[in-house]
Order: sequence, then C-alpha cells, then structure tokens
Amino acid sequence: MTLHFEPILQQWPYLLGGAWLSLQIAVLAFAFGMVIGLVCASVLRYGPVFLRRAVTAYVIFATNTPQLVQIFFLFFALPEIGVTLSPFTAVLIGATFNAGAYLCEIQRAGFNSVRLMEVEAAEVLGFSTMQIVRHVILPHVLKVMFPPLSNQFIVMTLGTSMASIFGVEELTGRTYNLSSQTYLSVEAFSVAAVLYIAITLIATFALAIVGRYVCRAKIKVL
Amino acid sequence: MFASSQAEIAQLFSFYNLLLLLEGFAATLVLSALGCFAGFLAGFVVAIVRVTHSRAMAPLRALAFAYCFLFRRIPFLVTLMLVFFASQSSKANLSTFAVASLSVCLIASAYLGEIIRSGLESVHGNQWEAAQTMNFSTFETLRFVIVPQAWRVVVPPTFGFFVMFIKDTALASQIGVMELTSAGKVLTNKGFSSWLVYGTVLALYFVMSYPLSRLGKRLEKKLAATRNR
Repeated sequence: MTLHFEPILQQWPYLLGGAWLSLQIAVLAFAFGMVIGLVCASVLRYGPVFLRRAVTAYVIFATNTPQLVQIFFLFFALPEIGVTLSPFTAVLIGATFNAGAYLCEIQRAGFNSVRLMEVEAAEVLGFSTMQIVRHVILPHVLKVMFPPLSNQFIVMTLGTSMASIFGVEELTGRTYNLSSQTYLSVEAFSVAAVLYIAITLIATFALAIVGRYVCRAKIKVL
Repeated sequence: MFASSQAEIAQLFSFYNLLLLLEGFAATLVLSALGCFAGFLAGFVVAIVRVTHSRAMAPLRALAFAYCFLFRRIPFLVTLMLVFFASQSSKANLSTFAVASLSVCLIASAYLGEIIRSGLESVHGNQWEAAQTMNFSTFETLRFVIVPQAWRVVVPPTFGFFVMFIKDTALASQIGVMELTSAGKVLTNKGFSSWLVYGTVLALYFVMSYPLSRLGKRLEKKLAATRNR
C-alpha cells in the first residue's frame, strides 16, 4: 500500500476553509451555549422549584443522549410539523443544545465554589455589590471555571465533525468530498486528522494564554 | 400512510421492529462495553508506561505520551473513517463491527490512559520512594501502594467517560454498523415518523447511559468524602 499525499495537499486551501467553518460552528455553539448555561446555572441557584426541575431535566436529558441522534431528531422530525432547518442551523442548534447542558454544569460548579466567607469579608470591608462581584466573586469563579471551559471548547471543536453527516461542508465534510473525488481516502482522512490536531492545539495554546493573563488560571498545555 | 398515529405506534412496536431496535441496543451496548473494558486495560498499560521514570523506558514513554496526546485531538468520526479505509486498502477484510470496535478501543485507551495517569500522579511521590525503601518491586508498589490510593481519583471521571462513550458509538452508524442509530435510520426509511423513531432511539440511549451516570455521581460523592482529608 503506497500513499499519495500530493493530490490531497494540493487542495489545502479547500481543507483550511473547512477547518475555518468547523471553528466557526464551535465558537458560535460555545457562545450560545455559554448564555444558555449561564441562565440555567442562575436558575439552578436562585430560581423557583419548578424551573429548577425543568433545568435539571434538560441537563440530564441532553448529557445522557447522543448529540448525533439529537440532531437527527431536529433535522428529520421538525419538518413534519413544518419547521425546516438548513443543515447548518440544525447542527448549530443541536450543538448549542448539547453545549448548554454541559456549560450549565460547569458554571453551576463554578458558582458553588465561591466561598461565602470571602463575600462576607468583602461586605464587612464595605464593598458594594458590584465591587464584590468585580473583585471577589469573578476572579475566583473565572479561575475555577476556566480549565473545564477550555476543555469543553476543545471537545466541542471535535464534535463539529458530525456536521458532515448532515451535509455541512466543514473539515470532515470536505474531506469526504476530497476522498470521493480522488479515491485517496486514507490520505485524505490522515490530513484531516493532522488538521484537527493542529486546530485544537492552536486553540489550547490560545486559551491557555488567555486563561493565564485574564483569569489567572494555570493550565498545563503539554 | 398510516390510518392514525395509534396505528403507527402499534406498527412501530411490532415484533420485528422491536427485534431490530433490540439488536441495535445490544450492538451499541456491546460496542461501548468492549471499548470501555479493552480501553481500560490498554489505558492502564499506557498510564503505567507514562508514570515510569527509568531511562530505558524513555522511547516507550514518549510513544505513550504521543498516543494519548494525538488521539484525544482527533474527532471520533475521523478516527473511524481512518481505520475503516485503512482496513479496506490494506485488504485486512475486517467487518464493519470489527472496524468500529477497533477504533472504539483506540480512542478509549487514549482517553482512559490520560484519566488513569492523572490518577496515578495524584498519589504523592513520597509514596513511591517509601515503597522503594521498603524494597517493593515496581509491580508491588503499584499493586499495594499506588493503585489503592489512585482509584478513588480515577473512578468518577471514568464513569463520565463511559457515558460519553456510549453516546459516541452513535457515530458508528456512519460506516454501517447496525447499532441503535442505524436501526432508527432503517425504521425511518421504512416510513415511520421521525418523531416516533428518533424519540424511541433517544429514550433507549437514555435508558442505557442514565443509570451509569447516576452510579458515577453516587461514587463520586462517596469517594470524595474519603479523599478530602
């Protein structure tokens, strides 16, 4: 078995474009998921009982069923009641739905890690509520939450590969195209694997730098 | 196509369709169990190689590190396709189920290797030295000193991983393994409503992974109490 990488490597701008789309899906889903997670985590902490139950049910459901089948459901079942989603939207909604649950769990744990005594000490020192949030709660919460959040982002970036199943032409989708055009499947998918490693590595480094200087979180990259 | 939704439900849960779903359920279960067990064993070996310190083991250690590092950064779908096409073009003539199990084991041992390594490293270095002073061999140190202390750290994330893993096997439907998701696809192709079929499939996945995640949560609570001295 001989490998021919040239025809695949000639197409690298095409693949890089796919990688860019993968990153876009991951970033969008992460951003929306953060908002959902923040709302859900706040509800879990301050909301009334029935809302808390609803959020718990959502988190349990979303974290215990495969994202793939959830997107299948969105993509194939919703048209029956007249909601037709484009592949990109379906994948984005599915990824957001999934990410929201995980990010809710992470943020809930972050909220719980705030020590009441520190807040009380700040109150005694005459901090206003805004100052307490700004100088006591946020630095602490960010430091605790940052490593799991960046980890979740990496997992989500890998998860975007299932968008290809619905015909979104991101990195894996374009790899499918290339492998059926050239019949060099092993080569195409090895190149895709290397690209995925490169993307996630860059993301990890970037996040580690942000984490170190913004959130004072220490992240070991290697 | 169907007279009423009731008729459709009755049709969907007819004997052969149920059999199809059950077979899919069993295949998913076997695939994930295989991945978890084989992955756990292989991951254990990888982790032990990674915590060794001797110079003779350096190349192996680098290999184990690279393995854990790289395979956790490739999406499962891409690994699956890579193994699938590699087995085809090398004329190994593996069944799709074998391909799926192989890639499942590859991924699982990388992830579990990382989890177990972090557990082993959570045991203080003094314990190794103390065991060495008492003339324990490496195996004895692991067996009697390190592992009993490390497993408390290892177990909770392992369960989290198992749950993640059951869900990941859904991707095996892409290469044509007849597991739960493929069974769902077959049923929708037969003309059943996607609501019903994918709802059932989601429920079945839930039935599979929820007990596991509950067990993981419970163990986490139980072990955390003894861990925080």
